[in-house]
Amino acid sequence: MRKKIIRWIIWIGVLGAFLLAISVFSLCVGSADISVKKVISLLFKAGSGSEYSILFDIRLPRIILGFAIGGALGLSGVILQGMFRNSLVEPYTLGISGGAALGVSLSIISGLYRINVLNMPVFGFLGAVVIIILIYALSMQRGILKMQGLLLTGVMISFISSSLIMLIMSISRAEDLHGIVFWIMGSLEEPNWFLIKIAVFISLISLFVSYFFCHDLNALSLGEEEALHLGINIERTKRLLFLISSLLVGYSVSVAGIIGFVGLVVPHFVRMFAGNDHRILLIGSFLTGACFLIFCDTVARSIIAPVELPVGVITGILGGTLFVCALTKKRIIAGEK
Amino acid sequence: MNKSIVGTVIVFISVFFLLVSLSYSENSETFPQRVISLSPSITEELYLLGAEDKLIGCTTYCIRPKGAKTKEKVGTVIEVNLEKIVMLNPDIILATSLTDSKAVEKLKNLGIKIESFPASKNFNELCNQFLKLGKIVGKKNKAEEIVNDAKNKIDIIKRKTENMPHPTIFVQIGSSPLFAATDDYFIDDFINFAGGINIAENSKSGLYSREEVIKRNPDVIVIVTMGIAGDKEVKIWKNYKTLMAVKNNRIYILDSYRLCSSTPVSFVDTLKDFVEILHPEKRKINL
Repeated sequence: MRKKIIRWIIWIGVLGAFLLAISVFSLCVGSADISVKKVISLLFKAGSGSEYSILFDIRLPRIILGFAIGGALGLSGVILQGMFRNSLVEPYTLGISGGAALGVSLSIISGLYRINVLNMPVFGFLGAVVIIILIYALSMQRGILKMQGLLLTGVMISFISSSLIMLIMSISRAEDLHGIVFWIMGSLEEPNWFLIKIAVFISLISLFVSYFFCHDLNALSLGEEEALHLGINIERTKRLLFLISSLLVGYSVSVAGIIGFVGLVVPHFVRMFAGNDHRILLIGSFLTGACFLIFCDTVARSIIAPVELPVGVITGILGGTLFVCALTKKRIIAGEK
Repeated sequence: MNKSIVGTVIVFISVFFLLVSLSYSENSETFPQRVISLSPSITEELYLLGAEDKLIGCTTYCIRPKGAKTKEKVGTVIEVNLEKIVMLNPDIILATSLTDSKAVEKLKNLGIKIESFPASKNFNELCNQFLKLGKIVGKKNKAEEIVNDAKNKIDIIKRKTENMPHPTIFVQIGSSPLFAATDDYFIDDFINFAGGINIAENSKSGLYSREEVIKRNPDVIVIVTMGIAGDKEVKIWKNYKTLMAVKNNRIYILDSYRLCSSTPVSFVDTLKDFVEILHPEKRKINL
């Protein structure tokens, strides 16, 4: 038992160090050539000028938002996969992202986003909340949250909302169309510091709260009935976990758009190395998600500078390849045993 | 002793006021010296105005005129690279409504002046924006001159085509799905000025059904090669033998560059193309 905890602490330490290293790397890399020396000197003394503003007004907010969103996606991915005992579930499976996308598309074609830039995330979050309530209400039967029903309703709702988005796109004007397409692709560029701070706050709070349920999640991974026999109030757990993860997803999507793959791959990856215990999985996925997203964003904005790629392109290619590699390697090791 | 102090104070005050008034007069006369353009058409217009020496950055799409190719690139029309822009330290950024709204917000927060030019939908808007651009970069007179010249030429064309027959025309700007040029686009002005009738003028969205085209049976079909294979589209249209445009072999392909990024000058040039397409019998219109 003790050994296990020490191993976990080491894992957390390693991931934390990784996170720090990747953040510093991301701060140093970009289309504007700022030497590492200069970065270090700028870090320790406040200054003005274009280099200072590139570091602290452009690169730093992206890193912080990457931390929050990556963490949130990794965390909600691991919660949902544990809850559903289904390794294909990811934060976007339940259709919450579809709701957010629908909300944002509506705010774009109605021209509301021109009035205030904040309208876009606000509408996105409203859309997500509406869908969460809808899914929740549809899968509640006599006070019991039906997991299979939840999943199916979620998938159907995500299809419906994606069709509705296509409908909006087909009747919208060219400029609005660009807005919708680029929003859907996802980006960590966010001009508003307030939203970034909220994102960090929400993901850290959710991480904290989710730890009250780590034992419940472990029990749930045996099956609902077994969890019930182990004395767990599964209805309350399921409801709260669903709410936490869907609010996390709703907020992330409305701020950063749909950045795919983080929530799907990261939990698998962590499980491969750290085992199936949710006590380490929760924080492990959070930190790994954050590292992964910050790194992908750095690649996306610097690989073919001055053009910036959508970060989803990199998360998909990099995450998918890494995962397949890890999977085949693991199989070889298992075969040798 | 006292006198000299009063004297120096007076001198100082007068020098101060002189400086203030000088800087004021300079302020009202200075125009941005470092301009970044986020649109190919604005880049082209800057060259037209003779303000290319002030242009320090543009998009990767800005390839006309030739000089624009060598200017520093700061991203595409939609996605801009904020770091590059900040490094270039511009006085003003000329953006469009296509520019990522988050990036615009960010640049404003960074204290960079940014002027947005929404995509103009007709010739009048184009001229107004051109004049606005001229004012910003301090070439007001030149801009007015160019606009007036273009307007005069267009008036001549309009007068000449007025008494000619008005053929109906369908301009296709996208295939699968079939996309028509409605009055949301410049193309509608080209057609009207050149004395044609756009069958898709009042269509709400550009999405258009082939059936509708066949029903309305336009005399002329123009295909704009906007990333679509024009020849293939011509073949598809030729399957519908009942179409007047097919019978009279009046299907044309136009380069999208000529239609999309327009300045008042290139507008007139493209308009001449349309006149030729719509009135082939009067090919030799003297303009």
